[in-house]
Amino acid sequence: MRGRALRFSPVALLLLAGCTGTQSALDPAGKDASVLADLFWVLLIGATVLWLAVNGLFFYVTRIEPRSLSRRLAETLVIGGGIVFPFFLLSGLLAYALSIMPDQRLEGTGVQIRVTGEQWWWRVEYIPEPGAEPIVAANEIRLPVDHRTEIKLGADKFIHSFWIPALAGKMDMFPGRETRLAVEPTKVGVYRGQCAEFCGEAHALMAFQAVVMEQDEFAAWLEKERQDAVMPASDLARQGEAIFLEEGCGACHTVRGTEARGPAGPDLTHVGSRLSLGAAVLPSDREAFADWVRHTKRIKPGVKMPPYVHLSDEKLSALSAYLEGLK
Amino acid sequence: MAGTGKNEETKTLAEEADSLWLITFAGSIWAVHFLVCYCATAVICAKLGGDAAAILMLRLALGGVTLVALAGIAFVGWRSWLQWDFLDDGDYVHNLARKEDRHEFLGHASFLLSIISFIGVIYVSLPVLFLETCQ
Repeated sequence: MRGRALRFSPVALLLLAGCTGTQSALDPAGKDASVLADLFWVLLIGATVLWLAVNGLFFYVTRIEPRSLSRRLAETLVIGGGIVFPFFLLSGLLAYALSIMPDQRLEGTGVQIRVTGEQWWWRVEYIPEPGAEPIVAANEIRLPVDHRTEIKLGADKFIHSFWIPALAGKMDMFPGRETRLAVEPTKVGVYRGQCAEFCGEAHALMAFQAVVMEQDEFAAWLEKERQDAVMPASDLARQGEAIFLEEGCGACHTVRGTEARGPAGPDLTHVGSRLSLGAAVLPSDREAFADWVRHTKRIKPGVKMPPYVHLSDEKLSALSAYLEGLK
Repeated sequence: MAGTGKNEETKTLAEEADSLWLITFAGSIWAVHFLVCYCATAVICAKLGGDAAAILMLRLALGGVTLVALAGIAFVGWRSWLQWDFLDDGDYVHNLARKEDRHEFLGHASFLLSIISFIGVIYVSLPVLFLETCQ
């Protein structure tokens, strides 16, 4: 018996390891996610008690006391175990689940974030105050720690769902309709978000990173994000900028401070400062930029950006140096 | 004599027809209550979602509708209990092809449906107790 337990323990450890990490609702780093994790455990315990009670009764009447029961005992078991006990247990669980909902809906203050689900990436706009010009970014969300931030959600063409499991519950995103969500991170760190509603062939590759920062660091980062793109710092990067404009990349992408003002694709003004590329499918380094530009369709099937297979290695290297330098 | 038999048969059929109606009442009240809650909430939230006073009125109104529904189901349950007549003969099984068994079976079934409908109405109404906004 002990040997069997030892054999199973690595399996159990592996399964439990799945409960931690940057994309786990059971390893919360936000106030709302923490309440939801508690809800999960309470419901799990309640369901286990109910399961044990029902199956325990079944075991009792079939194995321990298989003879005919007295009518009184039978009635007590059926009415007590079949109606009264489940009613009170399920009522308690339902009331508990409903009681946490109002706090989950509380609005955020300060900088507001608008996220739009595109094919298949995330348009992210920071609105410092009502009516202010949005600061446009993409595929990464930065949040101040210990502050409740309001996130307005929308979609371009398909229904998506916005979910950072470690920070809060999920919310659907619809074309033509605005939904909302507020998150209140409690731990600084990098967490992973994922589209949680099947939206098309690249659905599984539509992810993003949520970076939770100290409040003053967030303010400084936002101020930097507001600025135009930095000038290319090397000859190679300057060549890359020229190639970027020659190839017409600016028809779809914006790099603020340059002629590139295309609104269709992700804003690339500070793309080099992001932690990942292509909606969290590649790391953010020079090699990944080259790989992405040349093999967009292979890396993310269904993506609208065409693969630039005609670019020579030299041109691709220069373009990657330029993009990587857009800090 | 033949006439008396026919009257008896007519009376029996009428009673059974009543019993058949009785079995539908509790579930119907539950269904209507659900529809009223769902539709009223959808309309008020769509038209006056941000108006706290309107939402308070909606919650109070739905609370009232719930009390009426529960009272109606309790009444149906009481009528069913009487028709089942359990305390008189303690019958759980009504499998004989005779009037009394049919009558008591319908009462028994209707009583159990009243219990599940009562619980259903409580569960449908619980959000009204906890949720103060349309969010």
